[in-house]
Amino acid sequence: MNDQVRIIRFNVIHRLFHLFVMVTFLIQAVTGLCRLLYATAWGRALTNFLGGYESVTTIHYRVGVAMLLGFAVHIVYILLKVEWKSLRQSLFHPDSLVPQLHDVIHLGQQVRWFFGLGPPPPFDRWTYWEKFDYMAVFWGIPLLGVTGLLLMYPLFTSYFLPGWMLNVILLLHRAEALLAMLYIFIIHFTVGHLRHGMFPMNECMFAGSVELEELRQEKPLWIVRLEEEGKLVDAIVPAPAPWFRVAYFIFGFLALSVGLYLLLILLIYHNYV
Amino acid sequence: MTRRILRRSILWMVLGGLGLVLVLPVVAPAQEEVTTSLRRYQDRETSTGYYEDSEVKPFPFSSFLGGPGVVRSPFAYSPEAPQIPHTYLADAHRAVQFYNVQTCVACHAEEAKNIHTIRGNITCRQCHGGEPMASIAHYFSPLNPVRRYAYVCSKCHEGASASFATYVVHEPNPGALETRKTFSSLFYSDWFMYLLIVGTLGFFGAHTAVWVSKELYHVYTEKKRKPEDE
Repeated sequence: MNDQVRIIRFNVIHRLFHLFVMVTFLIQAVTGLCRLLYATAWGRALTNFLGGYESVTTIHYRVGVAMLLGFAVHIVYILLKVEWKSLRQSLFHPDSLVPQLHDVIHLGQQVRWFFGLGPPPPFDRWTYWEKFDYMAVFWGIPLLGVTGLLLMYPLFTSYFLPGWMLNVILLLHRAEALLAMLYIFIIHFTVGHLRHGMFPMNECMFAGSVELEELRQEKPLWIVRLEEEGKLVDAIVPAPAPWFRVAYFIFGFLALSVGLYLLLILLIYHNYV
Repeated sequence: MTRRILRRSILWMVLGGLGLVLVLPVVAPAQEEVTTSLRRYQDRETSTGYYEDSEVKPFPFSSFLGGPGVVRSPFAYSPEAPQIPHTYLADAHRAVQFYNVQTCVACHAEEAKNIHTIRGNITCRQCHGGEPMASIAHYFSPLNPVRRYAYVCSKCHEGASASFATYVVHEPNPGALETRKTFSSLFYSDWFMYLLIVGTLGFFGAHTAVWVSKELYHVYTEKKRKPEDE
């Protein structure tokens, strides 16, 4: 892979954000399922392994707060990235993750391509499913975080909400977490890692760079835009070091297997969910 | 003749009075400072949490409680309180046969499946009290909404308020149709989330499935074609 030209796609900050979300999300998924499935033998055994119910609850609370802090850092990062003088252009720039009309058109073109009725849509830097992945987390973390905080301090919550709202809030928290887990473990994993050409693992989010030839196929408009702006030469980066590849392959497979294991657990104990 | 009748009647009156003394309670213990006809009232009070009328009786038929013929209040203590057919018994299990040898879950299996029991390891009696177990609508029940937060919830949740105590511990099945009447906000949020999950996973699941199968089909056809071309 050393002889191919590689283009940077995610810088160190982006990769650290993804790594942070990966780790915290998996911790929350494990501890949350421990709590949800505490009535089952699996839930009880894993809870005891992690130090008991209260310990699992404490981990869930603290990692949840860490996630919210990370989200706040991400908001600050976005606010620094946005060019306020030309806000409109900045928000609807091809480098922006804000959903736009052409994403809906791309979806239609993609479906047409699925059935062999047309060419694949010309993607720029972000495809519509990548934007959806991002917006899902962007929407999910505040929802899970706010409901989680309300459940964390039920007495305080009952000052300004009737106590039976805690039932509703718990339901929302549980359902949204379930949706997030199922989406990540089924759809995000399949699209990112199991598709042909990606299998067994898509290195892009860890290495940060993708082969130029691959990008010309998948995101032609982005490469054309980089060439026109004369930024393509700056975007070329060396291939990741072999030790780094080994490290992220081990880590990535570990994370994948945790996710697929939790998916299996969810399927086995679906009666308790 | 009249004297004989008078003597006899006096005799019967004395005998009747003695008989009454035997039947009626003794005068001296009855003058003890006890506020109820129940013996050892204080013991019962501390062990069960039931109090006398004079001590904590609320205004009869408070609009908060709901009850026979009382329409649901806009400020209901619990979303399902007025909907459940309440009894007002001091001993809710009065007519249950072989009650002494039963366990709670023998009849209330569904009620035991709640977060307090499963995760908090709380037993039924820690909230519902000892025998006799009153209906929660009974005026003197510790679980009566007028005092539930103080008598039950705050045993663990220090500082619990009346609002806090409206948390529904024995949550109804959120997806069940009856829940639409008893706890509509839970019912509608459950269906909203259900449709959101099914919609998202259904759409992107189908999208991904078609995509993967198309790519696999391409790989298959290309592999098949290549040897012929060569």
